Parts: sequence; structure tokens; C-alpha cells
Amino acid sequence: MGLLSGYRVLDLTDERGLLAGRMLADLGADVIQVEPLGGSRARRAAPLGERDGPPYSYLWATFAANKRGIAVDLDRDQGRHVLRQLASRADFFVESLGPGVAASAGLGWPELSEINPALVYATITAFGHDGPKAGYAESDLIVWAAGGPLEPNRDGDRPPLRISVPQSFLNAAADAAGGMLLAHHARARDGRGQLVDIAAQACLSLNTLGRVLADPVGDEHPEWAALVSPTARTDQSGSGTGTSSHLKKWRCKDGLVEFHLAIGQAAGPFTNNFFRWMHAEGAGRDTLLRWDWRILPDLVERGEFTEADMQEVRVATAAFLAAKTKSEILQAAIAYKLLCIGVSDTADLAHSPQLAGRDFYVTLGSGRRAQTMPGRWATVSIPAFELRRPAPELGEHTDGVLAEWLGYDGLACQSLREGRAIG
Amino acid sequence: MRTPPLAGLKVADFSWVVAGPVVGRALADFGATVVRIESGTRIETARLMQPFYQGRTGRENSALYGTCNAGKYGVTLNLKTEEGRAVARDLARWADVVAESYAPGQMARWGLDYASIREINPSVVMLSTALMGQTGPSARLAGYGNIGASVSGYQDLVGWPDQLPIGPFGPYTDYVGPRFSLVVLLAALDHRRRTGEGCHIDVAQSEIGVFLLSPQLADYFDRGTVAQRRGNQDEQFAPHGVYPCRPEDEHQQDRDRFVAIAVCDNAQWQTLAGQLQRPDLAADPGLADAAGRLARAGELDDAVAAWTATQRAQDVEARLQAQGVPAHLAVTSADWARDPQLAHRGHLRGLPHERFGTAFVEGPRYLLSETPGQVTRPAPALGQDNEQVLRGLLGYDQARYDQVAASGALA
Repeated sequence: MGLLSGYRVLDLTDERGLLAGRMLADLGADVIQVEPLGGSRARRAAPLGERDGPPYSYLWATFAANKRGIAVDLDRDQGRHVLRQLASRADFFVESLGPGVAASAGLGWPELSEINPALVYATITAFGHDGPKAGYAESDLIVWAAGGPLEPNRDGDRPPLRISVPQSFLNAAADAAGGMLLAHHARARDGRGQLVDIAAQACLSLNTLGRVLADPVGDEHPEWAALVSPTARTDQSGSGTGTSSHLKKWRCKDGLVEFHLAIGQAAGPFTNNFFRWMHAEGAGRDTLLRWDWRILPDLVERGEFTEADMQEVRVATAAFLAAKTKSEILQAAIAYKLLCIGVSDTADLAHSPQLAGRDFYVTLGSGRRAQTMPGRWATVSIPAFELRRPAPELGEHTDGVLAEWLGYDGLACQSLREGRAIG
Repeated sequence: MRTPPLAGLKVADFSWVVAGPVVGRALADFGATVVRIESGTRIETARLMQPFYQGRTGRENSALYGTCNAGKYGVTLNLKTEEGRAVARDLARWADVVAESYAPGQMARWGLDYASIREINPSVVMLSTALMGQTGPSARLAGYGNIGASVSGYQDLVGWPDQLPIGPFGPYTDYVGPRFSLVVLLAALDHRRRTGEGCHIDVAQSEIGVFLLSPQLADYFDRGTVAQRRGNQDEQFAPHGVYPCRPEDEHQQDRDRFVAIAVCDNAQWQTLAGQLQRPDLAADPGLADAAGRLARAGELDDAVAAWTATQRAQDVEARLQAQGVPAHLAVTSADWARDPQLAHRGHLRGLPHERFGTAFVEGPRYLLSETPGQVTRPAPALGQDNEQVLRGLLGYDQARYDQVAASGALA
């Protein structure tokens, strides 16, 4: 049993929304992924590998995992009829086909709410279903640019940088799952469903650490992302968000290290801890211990800490870290309480003792369909997650779902299949 | 008007900074009564973080704290005192939901771990969200700042291929963690509604970050592929990038402006090549499909950048969008605040505020047609609601309240 066992979800998303249904399926809901007879376009989404023949999308393999799959042709009356029948039995409906697309197939919220007033209907778009930019051509990068997190993320004079693994619609899809459950709690009171409207652009303001609010509240520091010296107005959060990125990356024996020489009352103690570690290892001169990073801004103001001192610190730190491995640094980070950690790549993540220790990875399916991937994304003290099956093959569960949800027998399915309404 | 989804839900929010408080903010928007508990002396980090109203630092001036905590009541408790812990226990007994984001073990030291709270509140749903989670060999790793983006793979995945990575803007796992926390918390509340059973939820923010790299991890397990940073280029599309533009006007020469452009199919490519006035590229058979364009992505980036350098970013956006090519200005805070689409959705909310006149917060990210989220009040000043919470919500009489206040527990 999962936390959401017993609920039915009809999932018409593509690569822009697959994740929402995956999250609900992981918590035990019966999620039915609906594809056209030619297969979802998410089956062609990067990264692509090869497994006996057609392209194999790792995005599909992971974010469609744990769902059942049916193939229905929404361009045919009979296909649309089947879909509406299923919608009348569903608790949740979610789609990401683009503004107006579901409506043009007679599957918009007004139509479906008429046949199932209790339905919670979620829609995921780039900008929204209406408004001046609703019709904009979109892609993950475009939404990232429009939502806020792109512009401040610069490396020197070059243009701002996105995350190389597209994230805009993943954030939106996760919000869709949250919005669906909020609407579900409203329904638990009065039995009525509603429309849950998710626009990826609006979802991304959270990914700016409040920076989008700077202009409205009158914080006009244009040097926000470019502070490099403790002599300027400096970010004291410990996040290093206001510090040039190059000054936070160091080379170690087997890769890179993230370490911000943080200052101030909140984060300075972590920097003090770092130099205690260095000193305990016999590295660096005793003089490195003389700075109290909690009050460094005051030392700078009094002229007791200069750029030359900073340079000395950085040179000693670089030499020290260059001789360490990521694993040694992790042990020290725990023992000494450091804000200093190896930069993990996918290989490091795959072999992480921490993730292994928490049973994070799971293999779903067997034989040629076996796929290892991240599994349970939260740990709950009672049975909460159900990780059951790999991503469906095209039309794998069509007959079973039509039988269970609608009572269709084999003959009915055969007739629909011959009419090319289902696959 | 229908009743808000979470009306009557009582939440004791012991969390801090971003990943935890954002969850309580969503609960408050949809009707829950959320009490945010903080120390009045050891100021929580978000209060010290930009942006600040009028650019002035100060514990009551952070717009980040403001947007993460709008709609909540604020209580200050000194949990180092026995009286402070007694009040905290009363809040935990009162609550349907207890949320916290301290280092693992800290709540236990205060007698506020799940086992202790469950003794006095058997059906409580408790959310603990730490960087690495509550268990495992690295559970004690100090969990804030951009450490999360390092341990979940993101520091390595942002940057130019020929340079050190720069990582994403800010603590990425703080942005993605709360989205998943909210989902599992609302599912647990539904389970409690159906069965009466509570539970303890442990969301490791770093695991949420890794979860969003599921395709890349699957690719690694399958074939040993290690995901690489690639600037702004895409695996499947080209040209695809962020390009420098002309300054807005002669007064803004020092302000860099950029536009993002993503060509996702052949028709969009033909349209863009027309805009660039490069008939040679439009006619080049080697560029007719995505594979050909990807192979020459660098050359195409140069051609696009040469054109955008002569244009204003918003003009590029308008001209390309008019012809169906994905393009958007890389928005600054000023652009964001004036974006007509976000305005259409009411995403920037102004709230009457005693000191600022108007406080500005991000709107709810979920637009519910029948029970829309409401931001009822700005984030609390330190200790603002001490008396209202202890007397009004916990039912302390005046003598008991005075005793607690006199003990220093509310400092």
C-alpha cells in the first residue's frame, strides 16, 4: 500500500509533464499513461540510448516508470469516446499538450467537468492557457530565461548559463503534483473537483532565491552576482550566492571541490572549522588560524585583513585541497563541520555510499526491460511508496485498463482496435 | 466561495531558511494556520539574506524571508530554556503537522523528535527535511548553502565545457526539495484523513536533486555515460543558446542584455536564418536537419550572436515569437516585475505592510480555479504574534503567558 493507493490518475502528459504522474504513482496511485498509437513524443526525448532497435529514451524510461500505459487515437471519435469514459472514472487528470490542444479533442476542463464534476484536472503549460504570452513558442531554455533563474547565473563576461540538464518543466511538473493534491483536499470536503493551472514560467521564481523581488522592494545593487572581495558588501549567508563562482571551485586529487570562504556570524564558523582541519593535518602556517572569519568584515574595515592576506589564504587552501580526495574531504566535512564538499558527477552519484545506505536506487523490470534508476524519493515511517514496474511499452496495458476501469471485454477491445481507436 | 482546501489544518513550522519554510508557505496560502517558530536571538539565516527592502540590511528587511513566510504567525522561542521547550511541546501537541529542517539530531536534543512528539500527539504528521536526510553515513554533513548542488550533481552540470563549472544560481536543492516535500506531506495528510494514522516523513533535499537527474543516472547505470556540461547547447537542438544584445538605450550602456533562442525544428531554423539575413545558411543542405546543425552548433551560435548584437533583446523576442521561433529575453528582476504574463497570472503580490507600505511576495505557483491560494498577511516580524499564539491558539491564560514571558523563553 502507498499513501495514495486507490486513486486513479489519467495522464496525458508528454516529456514536459511525465514527472507529475510518476510522483503520484510512486505514492501508490494507479496512473494510466495515455499515448497516441504512434507512441508518446517523450519516447524520443534525450538522453537517448539504444536497446534492441528503436531509440530508447532514458527520460521516458525513468519518468514514465511505475505507470501503466494505454494507446488511444484522440483523432478518432471512438478514441475520444474511450478517453471521456476513462475520465468519468478518474480521480485526477493531468496533461501538458499545450494551450488549447486537449480542448480541441473535447478533453478540456469544461467538457470533462461536465461528465465528472469530482475530477481534479491539472494542466501544465510553459506560460499559461491565456494571457499575452500564452501562445509563445517555447522550449525549456526559453522558459528558464523568462522565469528568472537564467539571467543572474553568469561566469565573467560570457552570457548567462542554464543547467545542462533541462529543468524548467521538471519543476513545473512537481508543482502540478502538489497543486493536484491541494485540489484533492478541497474535494475531500465537498466532493467537487476543479482546474489546477500550472505555468512553468511562474514556477521558476522560486529558483532565484528571492532575487526576482529585488526590483519591487527597491534593492538596487547591480553587482549582486559579481561580488568577489570581502571588502565589498558581501553575502553572509554561507550559500555563496553572491560570490564569483570561480572563487568557490578548487581542484582536488580526483576532481573538483566546492568551498566558499564564507564570512560573517552565520557562515564564518564553518570557515574557521576548515582552517582548524588544515592545521590539524599539519598544513599551512599557524598564522592561518589567526583570522576569525565570523568577524572578518570588521577586520577588513579596520585594515587588519588585506587583499594580500586573502591571497595567502587562497594559495595555502589550494595547495592543501589539491592533495585530498573527494572521499577524504567528505569525511572531514562531517567530522569538522565544513561547508566544503567534492563536486559530484553522475558517476559519483551512482556510487554514493549515502544514497546506497538509504536504498535510493531501484531496479524496475527484469530481463531486457530491467532499468536501474532513482526510486523512493522520501523515507516515511509507514508504508508510503510502491515501486512496481518499468515504464510501459506502447499499449501494454490497454486491454487490462479498459477491462478494469470500464468493464470492456475482449470483443469490445478487438472492435476498437480494428477501428484503429486504440492500440 | 468554497472553503479553502486546508482550512482548519494546524501547522507548527520549526523549519528555517528556504527548503522547509516554502512548504509551510504553501500550506498557509491554501488555508492552514501556520505558526513559524524561530529564535529571537540566533537570527535565522534567511533574515540575513538579500534582497533587502530599499537595499538596507536588517533582520526585518529580507524579501527572501518575506516571501518564504508570508501568511504565517510568528513566535520567538528560546529552545535552550526549559520553558521555551515546554511551549514548543504545547505547539507540537496542538499541531496536525510539525515541520523542521534542522541538522539531524537537533530536534531530539530539544525533546522534539518524532518519537517524543508522537507520545503527546499520536496522529501527528511530521516532516523533516535535511540536506542528506535523517540517516546514512553522511547524514551529519552540514547542510546548507550550495553544498546541496554539489552533492546532487548540479555544480558539475552548469558551465562552459572549456572552463571550470560554475553551478546553478544559489542552493538548487532548496528550490526542488520543497516541491516534493509538499506532495508527500499532502499525501500523508490524506492517508491520515482516511485511516487516522500519522507518520514521520524524511525528505533529503539532495535526493530530490538527484531524482531530477533520473534519466542521466539511468543512462549511467546502463552505459556508463557521465553527463557533461555543455554551456547552453542542447543534446537535440541547434542553434540553442543565450546571446548578447544591444543595450536598451544610450543610458544603459553598462547593463548587459541577453536573449535566449532555441530552434527546435527545421521550420524554425528556416525562419531564423531569414531573420539573420543569411540566405547562404538557409540554403545550406548540411544545415537542413538537427543533426547537421548540431555538428556545426558553434558556427551557428556565432552567426546568431552577430545578429543579436545589433538588436535589443526584447525586439528579438518579439520578432522571433511573431514567427513562431522560441525566444525570450533573459529577464532581470526589473523585467520580471513588469512581465505582462506574470501580471496576468497575478504572480507578484503586494500586501499592506506596516513598515514598508507594501510588502512584495511571489504568488502561489498553483492556480486553483475554485479555491485559489490567498496570501493573507506578510511574513511576521520577530515575535510579532507571541501573545496571540500562546493565548489565542494554545489557550494560555494571562498568568501563564506572563510567567512564560518573564522566564525569558520568548526571547
